[in-house]
Amino acid sequence: MIDLAIGAELEAELDGVRRLGREFLRPLGIEADRNAAPVPPDHPFFAMVWRMGLGQPLGVQERPGSRGGARRGVVLAEEMSYWDRGMSVAMPGLGLGGPPLFTMGTPEQKERFLAPFRDRERPHWAAFAMTEPGAGSDVAAIETTAVRDGDTWVLRGAKTFISNAMRADWIVVWATVDRAAGRAGHRAFIVERGTPGLEDMRHEHKMGLIAYESSSFTLRDCPVPAANLLGGERHYAERAGFKGAMKSFNATRPAIAAMAIGIARAAYDAARDFARSHYALDRPIPRYQRVREKLARMARKLEVGRLLCWRAAYLADVEQPNEVEASMAKAFAATSAQEATGLAVEVLGDAGVTADGYVEKLYRDVKAMDIVEGTGQIQRIVIARRLVGLPNA
Amino acid sequence: MSFTLALSEEERLVQETARRFAEDRLLPRVRSHERARGVAPELVREFAALGLGGVEVGAFVRAIVLEELAAVDPGAAVALDGAGPAIPFLGRTTADPGFRAVVVDDVEEHFRLRDGRLDGQHPWVPADRIDVAVILHGDRAYLVREGWRLDAVQPCGLEAAGASRLALANAPVAAIDDAARARAHLRTWVAALLVGAARGAHRYAMRYALERTAFGRPIAHHQALAFLIADLATAVDAARLAVWRAAAGLDRGESAEWEAACALAEAAEQALLVGPSAVQILGGHGFMKDHPVEKWMRDIRTLAGLAGGRDAAEVAAAALAPEHEAGLR
Repeated sequence: MIDLAIGAELEAELDGVRRLGREFLRPLGIEADRNAAPVPPDHPFFAMVWRMGLGQPLGVQERPGSRGGARRGVVLAEEMSYWDRGMSVAMPGLGLGGPPLFTMGTPEQKERFLAPFRDRERPHWAAFAMTEPGAGSDVAAIETTAVRDGDTWVLRGAKTFISNAMRADWIVVWATVDRAAGRAGHRAFIVERGTPGLEDMRHEHKMGLIAYESSSFTLRDCPVPAANLLGGERHYAERAGFKGAMKSFNATRPAIAAMAIGIARAAYDAARDFARSHYALDRPIPRYQRVREKLARMARKLEVGRLLCWRAAYLADVEQPNEVEASMAKAFAATSAQEATGLAVEVLGDAGVTADGYVEKLYRDVKAMDIVEGTGQIQRIVIARRLVGLPNA
Repeated sequence: MSFTLALSEEERLVQETARRFAEDRLLPRVRSHERARGVAPELVREFAALGLGGVEVGAFVRAIVLEELAAVDPGAAVALDGAGPAIPFLGRTTADPGFRAVVVDDVEEHFRLRDGRLDGQHPWVPADRIDVAVILHGDRAYLVREGWRLDAVQPCGLEAAGASRLALANAPVAAIDDAARARAHLRTWVAALLVGAARGAHRYAMRYALERTAFGRPIAHHQALAFLIADLATAVDAARLAVWRAAAGLDRGESAEWEAACALAEAAEQALLVGPSAVQILGGHGFMKDHPVEKWMRDIRTLAGLAGGRDAAEVAAAALAPEHEAGLR
């Protein structure tokens, strides 16, 4: 029989996140939203959590199975996002730069690039750069090129919507050595801050998730030492280039789905509390039945979405294939969460569309969950490939 | 160790046994059972001998078995699990193969209770013959052992289960339980059948879509249908997890009222998406009785009317929602 108890150890960790969330994550997220500006890297909060040993990767582990692995990941990801998803991405640490380093990096590279993250005095960030202005879902179409020149690779191109890139010690940048080869031509480089040619670093202005910065930058004849080719030449001789990137997505999709659930739960709680304090729900006012129905639908969908996330995470932990389940979780959770935040706005009525109501922020925030790390459409392609062998284009 | 979402070895064995019975024994006779408005007596005995029903089986295992049976024939599943949702209230009186019980949630108050007797009519129960009826009336569950009349009606689906109007004329009743618990069992039971029916319809349509070609390739490889097939697969899995959650709660002795209401609301919503979509995938062929998808579509519509229907489940979930804590538990 299934057992949905999360266990005392994880429960204790959750309590820690709740305290952090109530005191810092949510207030800072709301403040950033109102200021229309990300929380700056020198904000004392980041130094504080870094000294406490918190920070990313909360949701992604070096090895699946370590410290509760994927299950711990989805539970904590949901809770972090419940308090503020933007702040959970802003947390210092390796972020999405972690998985490729762990799965593809040579021992020397791991040693070298993890070193700054052992400094607990000052917070550090890493970043992951695949997306380009002209290549989102179709990652095989990236146009950033890498050309070997002696002991260096010269990178040319542009990356966009990259989380925490501006404050990162290093960025995992994906480029192609042979555009005709598609994914097989992909290489991952660690581009360190201050590398000449890493230019035009700028904020993008988003509709939500304001607390962390999404940046775009140009690689203008950017020379990267050959030693920064992630995994070394041998890794790509085995033609594992693209798989390296996809592997990190496989590990994170259930966690992203859980983040959507976390945002939806925040909307549910806000709507429920509003309904309790503003409406006498037992009075026979027709609209109140609709309010109840909306709350019920939100609660049900976020419960079912969570079960899909948990199943995908459980399978990852017991090392069973979870590709389809991870995509189902993400596709379902993201759309259900979008619906839930929209319903929350309706429950609040006119107050729902004002910033004071808070839920309109969640409605804006949650949209990204159906876009990042594989849009809902890409998830359906993944599922259909497995179920009916949907061919590539 | 944190949560687990897998079947035990024993549960997998039960699932496999039920699946084999459904595919080997029920599948060849789906249309004959439909015409006969009943399951062949030898199959009823055979199924009883497998020991997959009965009082000792908990709600979780029952949900697994019902899904397997309903994935082939939902009507036969109702007939074979004859005591069905009434089992938790009947004790050992249900050992006979062929025993049939119906549980009616009297949401529209068709029945009147006076001096320990029920009077009134319910427009449809999925049976042509019963040994006992359980009526959920107000906040109590009442056991009825005599004093009914069943008049056959023509149902939209679930023919193999039978279909009748149930009339009680001053039927003596005993209050056996609190209706909330009975409702939770009933809703979980119906939801498990819906999951099975939806799975059957989805799998059939998916296989068909790989064989049928249009515009030079299998129709499953046109993105419009590939996405629909992916969504339907997700729908089935979502509903199943909701059912498992409710059933596991019941087996742990929780009231699982909210979970069961959600399970039925979710299963009904998802199955009602899957059924007509499966027919759509087969196009004109789907509309014809040569393929079983039209039957699943009708069966799903019919199933989702049980237990007071989707409305009662959603209203129940809505009544509980403002008190519901959505946090991690």
